[in-house]
Amino acid sequence: MEDKSANAGTEVPAPAAAEAPAPSHLEKQEQHQNAQEQPQQPPQPTQQQSTQRQPPQEQVAPTKSTPQRRPQVTPRDRFNHQSLGVSLNSNVKQARVLMVGAGGIGCELLKNLVLTGFGEIHVVDLDTIDLSNLNRQFLFGHEHIKKSKALVAKDAAQKFNPNVRIVAHHANIKDAQFSVSWFRGFRVVFNALDNLEARRHVNRMCLAADVPLVESGTTGFNGQVQVIKKGVTACYDCTPKEAPKSFPVCTIRSTPSQPIHCIVWAKSYLLNEIFGTSEDQAVFDHSEDAENASEIEELRRESQALKKIREAVGTPEFPRMLFDKVFNADIERLRSVEDMWKSRRAPEPLKYETLMDQAKDATAAKSSVLANDQNVWSLEESLVVFNDSLERLSKRLLELKNAKEESAPEPVITFDKDDQDTLDFVASSANIRSTIFGIDRKSRFDIKQMAGNIIPAIATTNAIVAGLCVLQAFKVLKGEYSEAKEVFLTPFAPARLLAPDRSREPNAACPVCGVFNTAVTVDPSRTTLHDLVDGLLRKHLGFSEKDFVLNNEVGILYDPDETDNLPKKLVELGIGDGSFLTVIDEDDEDAWVNVVISVEEGSFGEDESPFQSSSAEHPEIPRKPKKAAPAETNGAADQNGDDAVEEVGAPKGVKRTRPDDDGGQPLKKARMAESAGDDIVVIEDAGGAIVIGDD
Amino acid sequence: MTEVMEQTPPALHGPSEKERKYDRQLRLWAASGQSALESAHILLVNSGCGTVGIETLKNLVLPGIGKFTIADEAIVSDSDLGVNFFLDESSRGRSRAECCTELLLELNPEVEGHWWPEPNASSTFDGFLQTSEPFTTIMYSMPISPERLRLLQEYGKEHQTPLVAIHSVGFYGYFSVSLPGTFPIVDTHPDETATTDLRLLSPWPELSEFAKEMTKNIDTMDNHEHGHLPLVVILLHYLDKWKQSHDGAYPIAYQDKIAFRNMVSDAMRRDNPEGGEENFEEAVGAVMKHVVKPDLPGTLKQVFECSHPDSQEARSSFWIIADAVRQFYEKNDRLPVTGSLPDMKALSTVYIKLQNIYKEKARRDAAEVLDLVRSAQGGEDVDPAEVEQFCSNARFIKLINGADVGVKSLAQVTEQELGNDEVAAIAGPEMPFSLIPIYLALTSTSHTGTATAKDIMASITERVPAAAGKERILQAAEEVARSGGNELHNISAVIGGMVAQEMIKIITKQYIPIDNVCIFDGIDSRCQVARL
Repeated sequence: MEDKSANAGTEVPAPAAAEAPAPSHLEKQEQHQNAQEQPQQPPQPTQQQSTQRQPPQEQVAPTKSTPQRRPQVTPRDRFNHQSLGVSLNSNVKQARVLMVGAGGIGCELLKNLVLTGFGEIHVVDLDTIDLSNLNRQFLFGHEHIKKSKALVAKDAAQKFNPNVRIVAHHANIKDAQFSVSWFRGFRVVFNALDNLEARRHVNRMCLAADVPLVESGTTGFNGQVQVIKKGVTACYDCTPKEAPKSFPVCTIRSTPSQPIHCIVWAKSYLLNEIFGTSEDQAVFDHSEDAENASEIEELRRESQALKKIREAVGTPEFPRMLFDKVFNADIERLRSVEDMWKSRRAPEPLKYETLMDQAKDATAAKSSVLANDQNVWSLEESLVVFNDSLERLSKRLLELKNAKEESAPEPVITFDKDDQDTLDFVASSANIRSTIFGIDRKSRFDIKQMAGNIIPAIATTNAIVAGLCVLQAFKVLKGEYSEAKEVFLTPFAPARLLAPDRSREPNAACPVCGVFNTAVTVDPSRTTLHDLVDGLLRKHLGFSEKDFVLNNEVGILYDPDETDNLPKKLVELGIGDGSFLTVIDEDDEDAWVNVVISVEEGSFGEDESPFQSSSAEHPEIPRKPKKAAPAETNGAADQNGDDAVEEVGAPKGVKRTRPDDDGGQPLKKARMAESAGDDIVVIEDAGGAIVIGDD
Repeated sequence: MTEVMEQTPPALHGPSEKERKYDRQLRLWAASGQSALESAHILLVNSGCGTVGIETLKNLVLPGIGKFTIADEAIVSDSDLGVNFFLDESSRGRSRAECCTELLLELNPEVEGHWWPEPNASSTFDGFLQTSEPFTTIMYSMPISPERLRLLQEYGKEHQTPLVAIHSVGFYGYFSVSLPGTFPIVDTHPDETATTDLRLLSPWPELSEFAKEMTKNIDTMDNHEHGHLPLVVILLHYLDKWKQSHDGAYPIAYQDKIAFRNMVSDAMRRDNPEGGEENFEEAVGAVMKHVVKPDLPGTLKQVFECSHPDSQEARSSFWIIADAVRQFYEKNDRLPVTGSLPDMKALSTVYIKLQNIYKEKARRDAAEVLDLVRSAQGGEDVDPAEVEQFCSNARFIKLINGADVGVKSLAQVTEQELGNDEVAAIAGPEMPFSLIPIYLALTSTSHTGTATAKDIMASITERVPAAAGKERILQAAEEVARSGGNELHNISAVIGGMVAQEMIKIITKQYIPIDNVCIFDGIDSRCQVARL
């Protein structure tokens, strides 16, 4: 389930995304109102204004006292009042904060925020509750499985402090409704997320809105908290993050040498070819294809042949057909390529019939084999699981086909680490293939971790990290950024346990925060691109003497040679509320940093200017640092979300450090990436170790 | 897909529901750790604001501690509701122990919870301790009466029960772990790269033979073969050569190692299309780390030398195995081989052979230790798996000595820390100030909820005369006095997370628990661990 969290909508194929419940109507409406009321406010209000603007107690408060008006201290608030002090305590009571993610860190954080008395807390989470969350996400119980994390967390936490207003949004933080102006309405934003992409998105939104962000993550016993404030401290993307791992096609399809290669083969190739749409491309590194052109061609033919077998899904012959195709015929074909096995052990094909004969005992013990999670299955036991999981999956696929509406797309089954059927199929196929190639087999428990990119997660680490988040938020509320710390949990440095460090300074060359952010309010059906290029950029922002390029997420809108778009209305160019535009200064000398403009919608009178800038006239735009990155090609993408993962992180083609696969090494302990928290999740189709934790 | 899944009875396939619920933590402490947690019984003796202990319990109930008991005579008041998450409106006026037990139990149906004093129970605290089933660990939050503290300490001594004291006030807190006697940990989870022990300077015959066989034509073999010699084989070959030209001596001194490293580097073929060889580069990189004499790490030496006067403890499997490993070491002048081989450039087939040579040696060494164990009194029933684990982790075994042997007094530690602070004052932010003042101020209120800064200073200087007039100690005293003994929920949540983490280490006997006091400063988000 976690896999779908903030990725749904972009990464996950349609059927999986469709499974996530739609946001509740109530919440949607509320957000809508919120979004609508924003443009009427003066652009770029200061934070103080924006907090005061929000009536913190919209609902009928069950108690008589409104904390910010009455200095009297309720018994409930006595300790906070005494220890935080009057000024910080009243700051806290008035603060309107956003918490993105209601998983491992989120549950702890919400409890702390509620008991510290933060005035209004918005919670956004797309995810639903899974059994494997319950060892730490204490706001959830068994009865809540498959329900919305955001909504259940709100209900559970609300009763512990009726003076706090909690608003839950069961939605993707990347939805357009959560615009820059919506972010601007918060005093502090807390990231309690489990994936890189959503973290990056919130980072960008907070920078654009100039709202301080408290970023956190945990992995097992490790954890980290940092404060991100535009221009003051480093942002999430100031240091490059580890990219998802990918493997050369030939390593996966022809010359596996480690268990992970066979697991990726089973998960991203075999399962997808039989039950999914097609092979899962993200995990394959095609950079070496040219060197192996003839083998690649063979592999393409093999996939075609496999697709034909797919027709037989559900028939009694199917398991044998599939087995003899991928574990016999394809292996025989590989063996015949003698060059390949000069320095490698050649694979040994298996025969279904023969193996079935050997597997009589294992077949008889099927239920105990299936229940065996921790021990490594023998080859025969793997066959038993292979057959059984194939039967379960085939049955499911046929049922889905029968149930589908005429016009609906063909049903598919995709890998989900908590879906036992797909896990069994992947584990058993991977183990059979490992045996063929003389690679160690693995237990289903271990395969689940590798295939699902599971990062260990426990209550204690989340409790520590969430508490530290609130301590950093106190510094933010007091405006003491110089006191804000980047804190690391150092569980294996027994003399410290915590290692607080001064916040890092922003990286001047950072493509995400090393830009000048501004906002513009437009009427897309009236405002033209010319209005922006001439009125906003040249006259208002001071680009008149400069050569520059204007991009949006799709590509170039304007440059000195590309003027066709100028007369067009913004609506024709697909620019509206929530759009980002990037201006790149082309001057060779003293060039300005990129200017990122967030677009908001409004309406203007006939005789008014067709746009309104949030910046003063001719603002001071910083110069690019001397060694500026060549930002022209992807400048737009830097700020415009969806493809930023590819753009900012290392590209897919990044080679492994050890491109030669000859070493038959034992799999290293999966060192999952950077921060995590809870469930880890990975960007589902990146078979390798992208990271990520906490949901 | 979910619908179909629900139709299939879960019992038919897959791990149990419990395994699935605990999946993310089983990956840290495995089934053995989980079963230790599930058979543990924790006592919380609660007092004061009572939040930090409950937050700790929450973090133990979630991962599935077997049983807990809360001893707390307090009645829930309004201010409790503002600081304790496990109390709600309906709790007001009721027993705090009972209400917290009820709400904590909602977190995990697998856990059993009890509370004391139950209504109409006439039993005293002493009576309650004596009549309860034995506790695995006891934690108590401050302030606590001297009488009750004495009872707990006596109980801990009598039953060999670890005690954990917790104090959280305002932005400050500390916790203190008292382990009974010696506390050995075998499963310390060392970093995997640290566990490699290649025995390059004391190879056994099979390993030497293998290397010799592979390198007999080293100068004439083709580039492919040469470029795939595993680093172990390369190093063994050149160590042999080195010995021949150095009167049979190995390169031990730093200068010799440098010279040896150059020798290996010079042997790399550079006339190939790549202009170098990855395997030789790996070998060169491994010289400093792996060309080392087998040594006896200090931690294990401590285990070998530890006298365990308690006869019952001496017959525990840990000490029987430790004694057998000591005999093994004395006889062979080396520890058992761990059997792990790191990733290295090699042909698959060669790598697997090499791996088997190490594994086989580890197996034989462990078998030898097992024989020694079997011949010892009480060694008949020791689990061979435990012997294997001991052998493969031997270099990382950690012994925490709970007994107060050779420990400095509080006054001595404080004087030392104050001395460091004088340096820190000059050194600037890179060297943080000691957190001892916080500990001194908090321990001055161990038995009383509130105190003035003056009272606190008086108590501190009585124990540590050198503290008199020290500005930072006075500040800590004032901060503690200002908080009036009250807890901040958020601070208690952080400390509750840290205490639970240490409790899990102690209960599972995995990872290394802190030794023994951790002081937390919530203003700076900082910790200091000290032996006090």
